[in-house]
Amino acid sequence: MAENVNVVAEDPGTINRENINPVLRALYKFGSFFGFGNKLYASNKQRKKVFFDVIVYIILIFGSIIMLYPFYWMVMASFNASTQDVLKTVWWPKSITEGGIFTNYATIIRDFETRVGSGANYWRIVFNTIIYSTVPVIVGVVVSAAAAFAFAKIDFKGKNVVFFYCLAAIMIPGPALMTVQYCFYVQLGWTENGLAMIIPGCFGAIMTAFFIRQYLYGLPTSIIEAAKIDGANYPRIFCSFILPLAMPAIMAQGILSFMGCWNNLLGPQMFIDRSAREFWHMTQALSQLETYTQSNADFNSAEVITASVLALIPVLVLFGIFQKTIIGSIMLTGSKE
Amino acid sequence: MQELNIGEVVTDGVVADSGGAVLQKKKRSINRAKLQDNIWGWIFVILMVLGTTFFVYFSFIVTVILSFSNYGGGNIFEYLGEIEPFRDDALYWYKRMFVDETHSQYFWNTLGNSFFYLLGIPVGMVLSVALAVCMTRDIKGTNAFRVIYYVPTVASAVSLSLIWKRLFNNSGAINEIFGTQIQWLTSTDGVIKKITVLIMTVWKGLGGSIVLFVAGLNGVNVSYHEAADIDGANAWQIFWRITMPQLYPTIFYVLVTSVIGGMQIYIEPELIFGSFYASNTTPGGQSQTSPFVSYIFGEVNSAGNYAYASALGVILTIIIFLMTLVQFALDSRRDK
Repeated sequence: MAENVNVVAEDPGTINRENINPVLRALYKFGSFFGFGNKLYASNKQRKKVFFDVIVYIILIFGSIIMLYPFYWMVMASFNASTQDVLKTVWWPKSITEGGIFTNYATIIRDFETRVGSGANYWRIVFNTIIYSTVPVIVGVVVSAAAAFAFAKIDFKGKNVVFFYCLAAIMIPGPALMTVQYCFYVQLGWTENGLAMIIPGCFGAIMTAFFIRQYLYGLPTSIIEAAKIDGANYPRIFCSFILPLAMPAIMAQGILSFMGCWNNLLGPQMFIDRSAREFWHMTQALSQLETYTQSNADFNSAEVITASVLALIPVLVLFGIFQKTIIGSIMLTGSKE
Repeated sequence: MQELNIGEVVTDGVVADSGGAVLQKKKRSINRAKLQDNIWGWIFVILMVLGTTFFVYFSFIVTVILSFSNYGGGNIFEYLGEIEPFRDDALYWYKRMFVDETHSQYFWNTLGNSFFYLLGIPVGMVLSVALAVCMTRDIKGTNAFRVIYYVPTVASAVSLSLIWKRLFNNSGAINEIFGTQIQWLTSTDGVIKKITVLIMTVWKGLGGSIVLFVAGLNGVNVSYHEAADIDGANAWQIFWRITMPQLYPTIFYVLVTSVIGGMQIYIEPELIFGSFYASNTTPGGQSQTSPFVSYIFGEVNSAGNYAYASALGVILTIIIFLMTLVQFALDSRRDK
């Protein structure tokens, strides 16, 4: 390979290298060395690839730094002892809190209630958030998977009509409906005890069902036929064949909707009473904490960063564990949220 | 062969023994299987159908009804049962939206802000296609890059907005690193404030589209590339003439979903710059950053104008529907 670094591009008889300005010739040669073929010197394919690989790596690594820097910054900033230092933090914390770097973490967990409002115990709110983002997700994904199973594998009367009836619902955006939903939930008494964040999710989501259905189409129908011949009824088939076989899709959709619920702000702000602090969602509490920062100038806003870091950890850990499933599922089904 | 013969013989024997009865029995069992299909099919979908009916369609019908009514709180189910829920002037709220000086200004302001935030979509699209092309090169570590770029997408928008507010502070890290003096958050010019939000939405949304584009690029047929390469096309021509047309369905999908999602932007502007009514209590005050959803939310939560908020919701639905329709119309024109 090394011998033919500079392969003559064209017949040497037609273009005479020696007749060309030596500076220009050097430039051409230089270009071909880095992979830009020209009329005098063709480029070496391998060297061209290496050259562009290096450029691509530089771009991607630079991009990765931009992607990850805010996360790095938030961890660094959470150690600061005062708001001024938080704002000036660039690479390292400007100051460290007395009593070790984790003082802010201990303080915010202990004093969460006094900052956010009575009733908003930190662990209570963590518990609420976990409930709001597991119960509706688990029930909802199973309901969606059941519907997806029926849509994909059972021939029942009115299947297509029902499917498009459900699918057409995605054309109505959530924020347009929330006013009326709020009025309903108030009347049903769901806003004062957090049920508004749980019950609607338990009916499944059509997009989840849609993507699981896409996945189920890939499974052979012969398994179901065989099970039917062996005397299994549909609930049995669903529990012992469909759920395990469609597990990758179900897991990915479940985790994505878990993240959606965990990060949701508009829903809790709308559907949980502002006075019922013991039922608040974490995002709501963070937003309230931010308001507290603005009205109390001497409050160390590093604590807000600390609470943000704590709220981020579960999602990032989950993503770290399931990143292969999640990204694989997104590539397969095209769902982003 | 032998088994088949035996089977035939047996079947023949049965048919010969009790002719019509077997036929009838078989038919009934088919019917029963059909019945089973129907019953279980409906049982499996019924919860989803009920949920969709109540939480989406019924809610939407009530939203439309409320937008023509004078509902101002109280028992909504009783209110719906009453015969005359309408104002004398049924279009009262819509007139308020378009004619009333203060509210039409709020309306156009917030709608304009929401549209401004959509500008992030083309920027994000170009960046993510470029990065996806980089990631589909034959190099090591592309999976790791894909995961890294996806991290902001899964992270909580609430936490990130609170971070953003401090990163983009006047003396904050961004101005410090790039040596700029831009007043990202306190500028009197609304455009700069909106650009702060725009940077965040582009940054946060990049990962999701990259993953989809990488999937799309992996689906591009390699043999076309090789053929074009042999025919002497350069990399640039190959990208525009061969890769892009095949990537088009993915681009269209990402565009449609991003526009629908982008019109519902709420968290970032709300947390970075404060809620709609907090920054807009004086009549005629302009909202430089609040998106349309913030306006709806403010009308419900701060003003208690349920009927007006419903009318705004109806308009939002129509806008999103029309925008999606236009995109599909453009798409179908391309097919010709």
